[in-house]
Amino acid sequence: MGHKDALDREEMIDFVMSCWDDEAGAFGAHPDHDAHIHSTLSAIQILVTHDALDRIDIPRVVKCVFAGDSFGEIDTRFTYIAVNALSLLGQLHVLDGEPKERTVNYIVRCRNFDGGFGSIIGAESHAGQVFVCVAALAILDRMDVVDIETLGWWLCERQLPNGGLNGRPEKLEDVCYSFWVLSAMSILDKIPWIDADQLSQFILSAQDLEGGGIADRPGDMVDVFHTHFGVAGLSLLGYPGLVDLDPVYCMPAHVIEARGLRKPWKALERRQA
Amino acid sequence: MHGVRRVRQSQQALEAKKLKEKAKIEEYLALTNDVISRRKNKDLSQDALRLTSRLLQVNPEFYTIWNYRRTIFLDGIFPNSSPEEINTYISDDLSSTMTALKAHPKVYWIWNHRRWCLENTPHGPGSETEGDPNGWKKTNWDKELYVVEKMLDIDPRNFHAWNYRRYVLASMAVKRSEKSELAYTSRKIEANISNFSAWHQRSKERASLLFPPNDVEVNDVCSGEDPELLKSEISAIQELLDEQPDSKCA
Repeated sequence: MGHKDALDREEMIDFVMSCWDDEAGAFGAHPDHDAHIHSTLSAIQILVTHDALDRIDIPRVVKCVFAGDSFGEIDTRFTYIAVNALSLLGQLHVLDGEPKERTVNYIVRCRNFDGGFGSIIGAESHAGQVFVCVAALAILDRMDVVDIETLGWWLCERQLPNGGLNGRPEKLEDVCYSFWVLSAMSILDKIPWIDADQLSQFILSAQDLEGGGIADRPGDMVDVFHTHFGVAGLSLLGYPGLVDLDPVYCMPAHVIEARGLRKPWKALERRQA
Repeated sequence: MHGVRRVRQSQQALEAKKLKEKAKIEEYLALTNDVISRRKNKDLSQDALRLTSRLLQVNPEFYTIWNYRRTIFLDGIFPNSSPEEINTYISDDLSSTMTALKAHPKVYWIWNHRRWCLENTPHGPGSETEGDPNGWKKTNWDKELYVVEKMLDIDPRNFHAWNYRRYVLASMAVKRSEKSELAYTSRKIEANISNFSAWHQRSKERASLLFPPNDVEVNDVCSGEDPELLKSEISAIQELLDEQPDSKCA
C-alpha cells in the first residue's frame, strides 16, 4: 500500500533479530521459539524490504535452510520457502546441478492430471500449493515442466458465480485465494481468463468498512492474513493507488527488481482512480 | 478469521470481554514462561512433560513445545523406560492428539506428532523368538486407519486427513488391497458426488491398478492397458452424471 514507514523500522528489525535461534542458525516465530523455515523466510523478507540483510550471518542461514527441520516435515511449501530464501539471499547457486534437479523432480512428482500440484506426492491439487510450486519453478527458471494450458484452465475454474475464488473444486470462496490463484495465473500470463471486476468487487465486499481490514468473506471478522492477501490480489488486478506486487515473491515489485530477481509475469494494468 | 462472523458490540460489552480474556491471557503467559524457561534449562522431567500437555491443549500451534515434548521423551524419559512403558506413553499421546484433532482438524503440528508417535512405537509385546514382536506397531497402525476415517466423516474434504490416509495406507505393516481403497472412494463419492478429494484419491488408485508400479507416468491414465477397467470406470461416471449433471467433479 506504499506505507512502509507506518511501522518503526528499527523496532521491527530489532524484533526480527530477537527471534534469531543461535543454536539452529535461523529464525523462530518469536523470541525463544525454535527456528523454523517458515519464520526464517518471513525474517529474510522483512530484512530485504528494509535493506537490512547485513544484520544476518548469511552462510549460517543457508546451511540451516538447506537442512530442513529436525523432525523432518516434507511439503512443497518448504521447497518454495527454501528456494525463495536462497534467491533473496543471493545464494541460489548452492542448488546448481544435482540439488536443483532433485528439487524440480520432487515438484514434478507432486503434479496431478488436472495440471495442479499438491503438498506431497499423491496429494490433491490445491491453489495454495499451486502457487508455491509454480513460483518455485519460476525462480528456478523451470516453467517448462508446467502444463500451462491445463493449469490455467483449472485456476480460472476456481472463480464462483459471486466473483470470489475457491482453492479446490466444490469448496467455498475465500479472499486469500485471490492471491494464491492470481499469483499463479500472473506467472502463467492467464489473468485475463477470470472476471477481474467481479473478483475485485468480492474482495472489496469482504472489508470491514468501520474498523478497517479484510475478512475471508463478506460479514466475517477481519484479520491480517486476509487483509494482506486481499490487498495483494487487488494489486495484481490493477486496483488504483496500490504499488505493484511481485507475485513470485509476494513482495513489492520494486524491491525484487532492485535486486535483479524479477522473473516473467504479467498483472493487469494499474488503473487510474 | 476463517468462518467467524463479525459482530458489532457495544463499548461496554467489549470492555467486559477484555476483562474476562485478561485473566485467561495472564494464566497462559505464566504457563508459557514456565515451560520456556524449563526448556532453556534442559528440564526433561515428568513435570515438564505434564506442563507441555497443558500448554499444547491451549495452543496446539506452538510448534516449539511439540519439539520440546519429543525431546523430553527421547532424551529424558524413554532411556529409563521399559518398552511397555514407552508404548503406554505413545498410546496416551495418540489418544490425546485425537481429542486435539477433533477441535483443531487443520493444525499441521498435531498430525505431525501422530506420525512421530507411530514411527516411534517400540517393538513388542513379543520378542523375535516368542509372540509377535510387531504387535504394538500393528495395533497402532490399524487403529490409525479408523481414526483417519473418523476425521474424514467429520470433514470429507480435509486434505490433511486425505494426505495422512495415504501415508497410513503406505506405512501399514499389513497392506490393504487397492480394491478396498477403491471401494472406500466409491462410498465417499456415493455419499457426495461433489467430493473431489475422493475423486482425486480414486484417480491415484485407478492409475496404480491400471499400470504396474514404476512402469508408466501415473498421470497418463487415458492410455491405459486394461480397457475393461477403464470402460467400467467411464460408465460408472456416466451414470453418476446422469443423476447429477451439475457436478464439477465427475
